[in-house]
Amino acid sequence: MRIVLPLAGGEPNPRGSVLPLGRERRSDDNAGVRTVLIVDDHDGFRHRARRLLEAEGWDVLGEACDASEALRAAAELKPEVVLLDVHLPDVSGLYLAQALSGDAAVVLTSSRDASDFADRLSGSGACGFVPKAELSGDALDALLP
Amino acid sequence: MDATETTEQAVARTLAEAADLRSAYPRVLRLMAEGLGWAFAAAWEPGSDGAPPLRCVASWWEDPTYDPFEGVTCSLALAAGEGLPGRVWETGQPDWIVDVTRDQNFPRARVAKTVGLRTALCFPARSVRGVVAVVELFDTSPREPDVELLRTLTGLGDQMGLAIERRRAEEAAHIGERRNRAMLAAALDAVIAIDHRGRILDFNPAAERTFGYEAGAVIGEDMADLIVPPSLRERHRAGLARFLATGDGPVLDRRVELIGMRADGSEFPLELTITRIDLPGPPTFTGYVRDITERKHQEAELRASRARMVQAADEARRRLERDLHDGAQQRLVGLALDLRLARSRMDSAPDEAARLLEEATDELAAATRELRELARGIHPAVLTEGGLEPALRTLVTRAALPTVLTVAAAVRHAPPIEVTAYFTVAEALTNVARYAEATEVEVELSYDNGSLIVEVRDDGRGGADAAGGTGLRGLADRVAALDGRLDIHSPPGEGTVVRAEIPCAS
Repeated sequence: MRIVLPLAGGEPNPRGSVLPLGRERRSDDNAGVRTVLIVDDHDGFRHRARRLLEAEGWDVLGEACDASEALRAAAELKPEVVLLDVHLPDVSGLYLAQALSGDAAVVLTSSRDASDFADRLSGSGACGFVPKAELSGDALDALLP
Repeated sequence: MDATETTEQAVARTLAEAADLRSAYPRVLRLMAEGLGWAFAAAWEPGSDGAPPLRCVASWWEDPTYDPFEGVTCSLALAAGEGLPGRVWETGQPDWIVDVTRDQNFPRARVAKTVGLRTALCFPARSVRGVVAVVELFDTSPREPDVELLRTLTGLGDQMGLAIERRRAEEAAHIGERRNRAMLAAALDAVIAIDHRGRILDFNPAAERTFGYEAGAVIGEDMADLIVPPSLRERHRAGLARFLATGDGPVLDRRVELIGMRADGSEFPLELTITRIDLPGPPTFTGYVRDITERKHQEAELRASRARMVQAADEARRRLERDLHDGAQQRLVGLALDLRLARSRMDSAPDEAARLLEEATDELAAATRELRELARGIHPAVLTEGGLEPALRTLVTRAALPTVLTVAAAVRHAPPIEVTAYFTVAEALTNVARYAEATEVEVELSYDNGSLIVEVRDDGRGGADAAGGTGLRGLADRVAALDGRLDIHSPPGEGTVVRAEIPCAS
């Protein structure tokens, strides 16, 4: 599997800088309400992400502000999707993605750009990356396996 | 054997045995005058530069009648061609005057007449450099010129010339030796001479200071044992042995840096040039040694300060990235999400959309404020536009504590000076606010001796450590890069004075 990062001046990416990390596969069989866990140490972002996703019909099961909380919440709430900030105070989101990806689809997010992480996103077990400023229910949907 | 031959032999022997003609002159003059039957004899030489005027350097007479003549003779200084000695000096030929009292060119004619001297002869003493002295003989009765006698005396004169030349060469060598001694004594570099076995021949005062030995104690000792650290001794001896065996001396006549050892065993870096002294016999060597401890120290400090400045610049960049990321960028992310949500609510829930837009506006204002703060921290625009005085006035009004600013003269300086002075004050004010527990602060800009003086004084608890925080350390490096200096005076309980002195003579 090879990840092609969007390059400035290259072919325009139809989904902006949203980056699928797995094989792209739209699943129409699972079109009901999606459940999500938001993991970020930044209150403001968690609050806004929840508001936005809920407005778009997502079911936000919970929020976590660090890795240990995230692991606990994921085991308990069993969300379909974990929106995971790359920068967490205790453990890097890149490592946490590996631990979580067995049971949920992990979408990494950051206020930085995907290119800031070079090729480290692709080995994380996450199925995609969305820049925080471009977060939306559709953007998440597009990245899910 | 006649009187002339006897005299000639006696004079020649005296000259050959004389170590110094000056001391031999009286005996030579007496032998000539007595042996040949003349009443008065005198020798004349030029000054030390070998040029006239001629002065009488020795004379001989027995009869006190001639005392006045000797007195006048000794008082004269004769130019070339002047008087009998001057004439012989000029022509290089012997001369004979039957009656000096009638001679037109004889300044001592009157006193000669008074004491009764009549006839005079004079001959040159010559060396390869020409005439180096003249000798004159006087007698009471008129005597006709004796060509044979003049020839004999001229031969003796040439022997005297050789003796004089020998003395001059010895004097010159002696002066050269004294000059060399004086140069060695005054030299700033340590100068050490050794023989082919490595024994010390010479150890000048600078060497005494550098290595901590007295010359008297080390002359004749093995140099390597005294001033070469044990770890380098074998290499030194092998190098000397190789040179003696093969003539191959890679360290000769070039600058090398090595480690030396002082009398107390301490080691230090030195700079060394070794020269072989080109004299007959086994080779001897001279080493010129300079203690470069201070230079090494300065070089190390310069390298460290450069490294610190690079590190500080890198750290500042990282901090800037973090500040942008944690501050304005987070706000803009929030703003984007708010706007997206507002748009989606525009039709279904216009009131909520309006409230979201309100929030977005506040978020934008906060982002703008944070960016402005950040930009000002990087480089305040007012510093570029208006210079140090208005920039400091703005800084002071924004300070956390009551701060009084005094500026001697609002003059513009080169940007590096203004920036350094500004950040000195900014950093000092930040430190005061953080650590000093002060109630008021004074900031003063003044000028002293071509330097801009920046002082920040507080009435806080003192005890600030100049070597401590990276902020002050970085400032000290900055100020040092402009050839200035940063001092921190902070006795516990008595407040802190941060003082930067930055050369600004334009």
